[in-house]
Amino acid sequence: MSDRFVKPGNQEHGWNDPPQFSYGSQKDSGGPKRNILNKRVHAPQFTGSGAEMPSPSVAMPTPPRGMNPPPMDSITPPSVCPKTPSDGKMETEPSFEDVQEPLYGALNACRHTVKKQICDDVERRLKLFEDMWKSGKLSHLVKHRMHRLSQDLKRKNWDAADEIHRGLMVDHVAEVSQWMVGVKRLIAEARSLNPEQNICTDPGS
Amino acid sequence: MATYQEFIQQNEDRDGVRCSWNLWPSSRLEATRLVVPVSCLYTPLKERPDLPPVQYEPVLCSRANCKAVLNPLCQVDFRAKIWACNFCFQRNSFPPSYAGISEVNQPAELMPQFSTIEYIVQRGPPTPLIFLYVVDTCLEEEDLQALKESLQMSLSLLPPNALVGLITFGRMIQIHELSCEGIAKSYVFRGTKELTPKQIQEMLGLMKPATSGQQGKPLAPHDAAAASCIFLQPVQAVDMNLTDLLGELQRDPWPVPQGKRPLRSTGIALSIAIGLLEGTFPNTGARVMLFTGGPPTQGPGMVVGDELKTPIRSWHDIQKDNARHLKKATKYYEALANRAAVNGHSVDIYACALDQTGLLEMKCLSNLTGGHIVMGDSFNTSLFKQTFQRVFSKDYNGEFRMAFGGTLEVKTSRELKISGVIGPCVSLNTKGPCVSDNEMGVGGTCQWKICSLTPATTLAMYFEVVNQHNAPVPQGGRGAVQFVTQYQHSNTQRRIRVTTIARNWADAQSQIQHIESSFDQEASAVLMARLGVFRAESEEGPDVLRWLDRQLIRLFMFHLRRSPFLQVFNNSPDESSYYRHHFVRQDLTQSLIMIQPILYSYSFYGPPEPVLLDSSSILPDRILLMDTFFQLVIYHGETIAQWRKAGYQEMAEYENFKQLLQAPLDDAQEILQTRFPMPRYIDTEHGGSQARFLLSKVNPSQTHNNLYAWGQESGAPILTDDVSLQVFMDHLKKLAVSSAA
Repeated sequence: MSDRFVKPGNQEHGWNDPPQFSYGSQKDSGGPKRNILNKRVHAPQFTGSGAEMPSPSVAMPTPPRGMNPPPMDSITPPSVCPKTPSDGKMETEPSFEDVQEPLYGALNACRHTVKKQICDDVERRLKLFEDMWKSGKLSHLVKHRMHRLSQDLKRKNWDAADEIHRGLMVDHVAEVSQWMVGVKRLIAEARSLNPEQNICTDPGS
Repeated sequence: MATYQEFIQQNEDRDGVRCSWNLWPSSRLEATRLVVPVSCLYTPLKERPDLPPVQYEPVLCSRANCKAVLNPLCQVDFRAKIWACNFCFQRNSFPPSYAGISEVNQPAELMPQFSTIEYIVQRGPPTPLIFLYVVDTCLEEEDLQALKESLQMSLSLLPPNALVGLITFGRMIQIHELSCEGIAKSYVFRGTKELTPKQIQEMLGLMKPATSGQQGKPLAPHDAAAASCIFLQPVQAVDMNLTDLLGELQRDPWPVPQGKRPLRSTGIALSIAIGLLEGTFPNTGARVMLFTGGPPTQGPGMVVGDELKTPIRSWHDIQKDNARHLKKATKYYEALANRAAVNGHSVDIYACALDQTGLLEMKCLSNLTGGHIVMGDSFNTSLFKQTFQRVFSKDYNGEFRMAFGGTLEVKTSRELKISGVIGPCVSLNTKGPCVSDNEMGVGGTCQWKICSLTPATTLAMYFEVVNQHNAPVPQGGRGAVQFVTQYQHSNTQRRIRVTTIARNWADAQSQIQHIESSFDQEASAVLMARLGVFRAESEEGPDVLRWLDRQLIRLFMFHLRRSPFLQVFNNSPDESSYYRHHFVRQDLTQSLIMIQPILYSYSFYGPPEPVLLDSSSILPDRILLMDTFFQLVIYHGETIAQWRKAGYQEMAEYENFKQLLQAPLDDAQEILQTRFPMPRYIDTEHGGSQARFLLSKVNPSQTHNNLYAWGQESGAPILTDDVSLQVFMDHLKKLAVSSAA
């Protein structure tokens, strides 16, 4: 999925900056946490008689300093938690017209009831989005996710569209911040025009 | 004993309570001999996906100075429709709506599995949540850009009907009018002049104009709300304009000469924020969110002057009484913190800078109100960005994990009294029959206010057994405690969570082994540690360590003694404040990790396993993963590091080595994806400079002092003069024997 990824942290500006997870990888999967790294080894009891040093853990012979290579065996140590599957292959890039159509459709539907100034503001931002798309300033991921958002908008899946907008704001704020708030408002206004169409297809709910 | 472990776990799962003792000594004298007091950790809003809230008012005891909530410990006469309060024994009639109850048709609150239950109640019209951003503009360009983007992003994460406001500051303070249209206006304040709350409210137009001969009066709440609407607006109405406004924010225009710090008027900025909320939305859930990139250098609350050659105070300076601004600044922020707490408003501090920012002086703003403190190196780091995102995280129901305006009331059966609480709260100064004269933590009250809380917020509560020696064990054989937490849910509903627990009394003289077997070492370690930290914050350091040595909880105390909570050497005052802030509010599991980090070892010889936090665990052919809560350290042993450097992981026939390297990274993922605040992430190896994070935590059983006492070379010696666990235990044993003689 194009919305689950991890980037390294910013080592230039932060000591030991942790990796950056996408919005999609951070959501709570619900249920009790696995808390896999939660065991301790209890120290040996220190009784009154004989102050013994704690014995060292399994003493394996250390490999010679002349650096032998690692064991090449079939021993593959499993990690405590299963690895997440790797990303699927990239789809072909969506066309701007496909994305644009539901957005302007929603905007036009709003023009009757919503104040002109707000509609104009939203339109201004949609134009900015278009400029950035056409001048190649938007990344692949952003384009794909906007395509999905516009499809959700067309099908009146307000919650799903909203969730995609949030994910884009979190993961790609530098690219989208100037115009995404217009899309956010568009979803909100379109939703209030169609309150009965609140069927959630959001997988999180 | 297996059964006590199960009992302890079941109670924690159901009620969010961990008691130091699960059998209580029935006499005062015996209780004081136990060293660890009768006490417990309580998580008021513990996540309970299996507990549906009920939609009616709780039934209360009718006695005026009791008012306990109906609970499973109460005796009920179903025929007469009467219940007896288990705290004061008053007989109460059920309300008319309970006419249909019977043994086979009991209301939820009487059933033992609902010892913890949540009520949704109506308390007037729902009020919106408020988020007031207070933003330092004296940042480097890149830093400011990153912060602006994070703030814009957060507008998409806020609850949709929340109110939002913006104050920016540097040398001057600007409070911005937010509107849906037209030109952005702002009110400007000087950063040096202290203003009273009334003056602030007057200048912002939140007061009725003074008629002749009469002082200006504050507006009635609905008028004030209308007047404040220019500064605090619903985010869904102003998000587009506010996004643009944030995007256009500039660095503070006042030039900073060579050798000087920027003039930062944090004190006045906070005073205006708190004054604005005080005058417009008292007693409503609100968060002041301060974003700062350096210390306050001007006006009340300044922590250091603007000359760079005068460094900000260190622990050394403080101990030598050489910190000029410390007392005055701390007092200033404490006064602000108390005002915010009284109004139910919380203050978060997001401090990102390479040097200190004054957390030592400002920490009370968050500690007293339940707000967050987040400390990072720069706003342009994933640590800040992701931690900030997690402030707005949602639970399994899609609801925000933040709650506001909490008040906690505690009631005890008559053999117990409350000595006090340690956690992110303030006292409500409520006297009553349950209040002990012997204070521990925040005492002298049976009610506390927690302005902001999360499902992890955990309070430590200390009790006193007041039954006289030789008095018979009380009838019914059990002592009881009830916790009643009222709060505003993030969806603006008002809720009440009630937890009622009971433990058996035991006669210490005849049943001492039973009492001992009911001891919860983990809970006790954290409870004692919080007491230690509380004392360290209010008294001198060395005395606390001596007091701690007398508390004989062995292993945990060894690590606590060396921890950054009590050992300030090697940390700045701000860092100490930061670590302590998190320690006195986290739940038991996280608190234990902070005291005694967890260490896992990865090798070719078997599955990953937990190992002793000891230098003997550091071996050349192992990878170690250490979790200290604030840091995740992955340490590659000497041989592993050499293999990695040689690139074996890239070769197809050494696929298993590649997997070995990946295994600890995968395991660290879950922690990195969920923990608040996000930990630092250290990938290091034998001989690496960052290895010190691991080396300073392990028990130095082998140091340069005793290395040659070992027969074989195993484990890595630690260069330290710190005592090893063995030496420490020997010393403690001597102490225990000599004090008993």
